[in-house]
Amino acid sequence: MPIDAANPVPPAFPRHVGMDQVPDHVPPELIRQSGLTVGPEFLAGPHDFMAALHEKQPPIYYDVSPMGNMWHMLKHEDALFGLRHPEIFSNEGATPFPRDPDDYFYFIPIEIDPPHHRKYRNIVDPVFSPKGVLKLEEQIRRRSNDLIDGFIDKGECEFTEEFGRPLPVSVFLDIMGLPQDMRDTFVSWAMQLLHSNDRAIMGQAMQSITVYLKEAIAEKKANPDDGVVSLIAHAAPDGVPLSDKEIFGFVCFLFIGGLDTVFATLNNIWLYLAQNPDKVQEIHERPQDIDKVVEELLRRWSVTFSGRVLDQDYEMRGVKMKKGDRVTFILPACNFDPEVFPNPLEVDFDRPRRTILAFTVGVHSCMGAHLARLEVKIALQEWLKRIPSFKLKPGTHIEYRPGGVIGPENFSLVW
Amino acid sequence: MPKVTYVDYAGNAQEVDVPVGENVMHGALYHGVEGIVGECGGGLSCATCHCYIDDAWTQKVGGPSSDIEAELLEAAAAEVKPTSRLSCQIEMTDALDGLVVHMPESQY
Repeated sequence: MPIDAANPVPPAFPRHVGMDQVPDHVPPELIRQSGLTVGPEFLAGPHDFMAALHEKQPPIYYDVSPMGNMWHMLKHEDALFGLRHPEIFSNEGATPFPRDPDDYFYFIPIEIDPPHHRKYRNIVDPVFSPKGVLKLEEQIRRRSNDLIDGFIDKGECEFTEEFGRPLPVSVFLDIMGLPQDMRDTFVSWAMQLLHSNDRAIMGQAMQSITVYLKEAIAEKKANPDDGVVSLIAHAAPDGVPLSDKEIFGFVCFLFIGGLDTVFATLNNIWLYLAQNPDKVQEIHERPQDIDKVVEELLRRWSVTFSGRVLDQDYEMRGVKMKKGDRVTFILPACNFDPEVFPNPLEVDFDRPRRTILAFTVGVHSCMGAHLARLEVKIALQEWLKRIPSFKLKPGTHIEYRPGGVIGPENFSLVW
Repeated sequence: MPKVTYVDYAGNAQEVDVPVGENVMHGALYHGVEGIVGECGGGLSCATCHCYIDDAWTQKVGGPSSDIEAELLEAAAAEVKPTSRLSCQIEMTDALDGLVVHMPESQY
């Protein structure tokens, strides 16, 4: 049933949590408590854990978890199929962030299925196209170097706080037309929303975000500029201005999608490179292949998942699923599918090009993908130019915390 | 403004304006032309904007513009022909005004 984005209503289908809420149609032999995102084995090494799912679990299983019960899908092929069939695997109601039921809104465009989805993407796609983001190149280089200036002479830095976090958030604020002095506040809201695993804290963060963004939208409506908040606030597809609910849902979604993912990606990659000097050397020796390098690192270190809700009863690989069941495509595991990426944990910049799932696929493919690629590329280039070799500070303890965006907590590098 | 004609698998043609500098994939998406998906948005990572260049235009348009485009085309869902291109890699120029591209039965 297509939804009316201007008149949002909370989804009616239930959330199931825990063993006593497994629906009757789920065969007992497919019920697992995999521990994905929450268990000690996952938190000890999330990407190794997700690669090993291919040996430990069937390709489709029903996961019971404190974060909600749902089908997990591991195969690259199944993800391509499912994510490209929104009439079966719907996005409506599939986004897990809590909202006030009395002031409900949709996250746009991720919660909007085709055909309405394209109307929203057309507003912002020119800004986020490969060509559009190239306009930001010099600015991203400058921001990268400004950050490096701040710590290079110390011979060490706490990477996540001093580079991984501020770089993508600054770039995002530039694009959106929001003030740089909000950077640290934005980051803390995003951390509470995406990393707390506590629905009360998530709700409070959502409340703070709501108040701030509503004010920012009102300000841009009165004083247009060339940022994306203003672009959305003044958009009128087919001559019809977006409603307040649509504008808010769109801006709010970009906030959530844009702040934390590149942060986690940079953290994963720098932690890996600090421990793999041979790969750093290879990157130095092959400057012409930087795009291949970035693509392979994004495959190896993908950070998030795609959630959907079945819009009809559907059977895959002999597994009978029912309308209303929730499904999560475990994108990092799909990127480790040995049938598509042999020896999947190996970083090999010369792999034949295959569709990677770092940015998901289908109509809801990440609109920020080109920006993310550019940020990773520039960060690598500028960092390696000035800090050609680096390693983990001795005694550093690597920790992962539960959450929907996967990357290491604080770690320090020395050079 | 230069025009591109998109012909779907059933033979229906749709002519749209595509500005110089824009690519043929976006030309379809922004005008609601069915048959080009372009899910990765032009990042050379998906092969869902596959098209066949009309025989009259193959010389002007040329073959794949990079090894990556050629590799991705190998993985395209529909039959790959000598005239196959990824439409996101074809940038409009005045010389391509009137370009005709044919779309495959499916992009998946």
